[in-house]
Amino acid sequence: MTLGAVLQSGLLPEGLNVSFKLAPAILVAAMLALFLGIGYAFRVADTEGMWVAGRSIGNVENGMAIGANWMSAASYLGMAALIALSGFYGLAFVVGWSTGYFILLIFLAAQMRRFGKYTAPDFVGDRFNSDTARAIAAVTTFLIGFVYAIGQARGMGLVGLYIFGDIGIPGMSGYQSMVILMMAITVGYLTLSGMLGATKNMAVQYVILIVAFLAGLYAVGFTQGYSTVLPQIEYGAMVAELGSEFSEPFVNESYYLWIATAFSLVVGTCGLPHVLVRFYTVENERTARWSTVWGLFFICLLYLSAPAFAAFGTDLYSENIGAVYGDPGMTSAAGDVIVVLAAQLAELPQWFVGFVAAGGIAAAIATTAGLFIAGSSAISHDIYANIINEDASQRQQVLVGRLSIVALGVITTLAALDPAAPIAALVSYAFSLAGAVLFPMFFLGLWWENTNRQGALAGMTTGLVIWLIPMINEVLPTYIGTGEPYSATLAAAVPAIGSALVAVPIVFVVTIGVSLATDEPDMATKRLVRQCHSPEPMSRMQSAEEVATTDGGEPVSDD
Amino acid sequence: MVEKNSQDSPVETDGGALTQAAQSHRETNYLDREVNLLRPSTPFMREHLRIVWTGFILWALIVFGPVTLTYLAPGVMTAEMPVLGFPLHYFLVAIGAPTGALLLSFWYARKRDALDEKYGIDHATTQSNADGDVAVAADGGTNE
Repeated sequence: MTLGAVLQSGLLPEGLNVSFKLAPAILVAAMLALFLGIGYAFRVADTEGMWVAGRSIGNVENGMAIGANWMSAASYLGMAALIALSGFYGLAFVVGWSTGYFILLIFLAAQMRRFGKYTAPDFVGDRFNSDTARAIAAVTTFLIGFVYAIGQARGMGLVGLYIFGDIGIPGMSGYQSMVILMMAITVGYLTLSGMLGATKNMAVQYVILIVAFLAGLYAVGFTQGYSTVLPQIEYGAMVAELGSEFSEPFVNESYYLWIATAFSLVVGTCGLPHVLVRFYTVENERTARWSTVWGLFFICLLYLSAPAFAAFGTDLYSENIGAVYGDPGMTSAAGDVIVVLAAQLAELPQWFVGFVAAGGIAAAIATTAGLFIAGSSAISHDIYANIINEDASQRQQVLVGRLSIVALGVITTLAALDPAAPIAALVSYAFSLAGAVLFPMFFLGLWWENTNRQGALAGMTTGLVIWLIPMINEVLPTYIGTGEPYSATLAAAVPAIGSALVAVPIVFVVTIGVSLATDEPDMATKRLVRQCHSPEPMSRMQSAEEVATTDGGEPVSDD
Repeated sequence: MVEKNSQDSPVETDGGALTQAAQSHRETNYLDREVNLLRPSTPFMREHLRIVWTGFILWALIVFGPVTLTYLAPGVMTAEMPVLGFPLHYFLVAIGAPTGALLLSFWYARKRDALDEKYGIDHATTQSNADGDVAVAADGGTNE
């Protein structure tokens, strides 16, 4: 794998102007103050409001929230980096991260809304009537938050270098100091804000990040004479000049890895807890559907632009700094800031480059917030309050939630000090996990009423194991070994970045097989699933469980 | 047991002139019908799944088609496009796939709305149906 091998070079992006800059620093501070202000203005008092925003969010607003929640440093920075460094292979990320929403839309969005609980582990626990399944899902959610956030921390650390310079914590490199500073800011911010007005905030965060990204792209394209009105298409004319590495298929990575990556990102999209929770916040299932369409539209605005940004950045880099491909070539650290680097190399004003960088930080903070909230609610709501201490008071739950946010912050920071891969690759490990463990449970749980507890437990365990194999084989050595996978054959067959391609079919077979071999679930569970699919409208505050047990006043006939 | 959630819906706007589809919807108790992706058990589910599978197949072609063709016939697929200057495979993957998925999503949401209409399902009055306790339906959308 070339992805993991290129870095570990101190992570100081060459060519990036690393120094403290007043105007961009003020921009970032003002942005965080704005988020807190909005959070305060739309603060909520009860759990319903806290977790699902009173189920009151409309199409466009939820679409924007989907966009902001979704587009992290991996979209803002990492995707352009992969396209610049890995060429055609990088497009697997564009495709996987955008087109997955269609699968989410046709198979899961409306049914999830009808199910109407609070968290992803809630779904798994209630659908399969099992605290063990709930615990596995909660642990998975926590792990996803952790792995995913490493990529965000790396992005914030690299971009922070442009804005704040090397703050020089003794014994740490400039990058490491910045990761610690940025994660401290993020955790502090989260502790202050909770999920206060989170959805309102996400709409604002979306606007900031898309405006910063598109303004950067247009400014670079226009001042450098690359493009005029539609850079998303106009960069086509320069593809030929960028070298065969930029566009030639399968020179960097194989066809198999391309498909495996794209597939993993698609099923990961459908299994990510912090994405699913967006469907719990809307008024009804029709809004759930249309907000997915809007969300995909908002996502496409950035995803169609990222390759253009990568093309501009690659060209500017080779003109100003050195050859992008070959030896030594561009490092992954420089790649990960190519969006900021392009704006800087185009000699745009410093405050403007800072604005583009701030967009990256907004993207990273918005997603980290969503992930940490999902991870901490998995611990406090699903494990602590549901399993460990069933009489937990609200106060205790909130305390456990806060502590788990801090814990997540600390372990993420530690792992990000010496990250194993570029941002987008790190994030894709989390997608493989979500795709392998949670997606089959959501899919089968909603579409086949005979999926039972034993099947779910067997399936989830299988998924976890298959995900862990390449993580141990391939990713662990970058922390404790030589950086080379223990078994190259295994790494080629089950790549860490796309292990869901192997895992998902196996998990499906195991889940279905075990479900068939054991007793069918009881009638109450089946009615719950049926209610998720009934086209009969439901009231805003109802969950499928309530309707399925009461049947709108009718006695539950046992048949 | 052929009987749906039956506190007779308070508003019967179409005064008896129900379509066949809406009639069958009214007569279906969805809580008694099996949910199975491969064996739809109600007329609504059957029609819905036809849309879902059509969309899914188109999606698979849009997403994995161009890259597979590029693998099988690299020469043809990497030819430069006139005017735009893109190599064909790059354009189909970078721009074709995301845009295609977006258009498909729009198409699906429209289709599903049309299906709801055909079966006489109205999400605007969600407050009144299925919830015996709520007598007033008119506030559909204010905050509690």
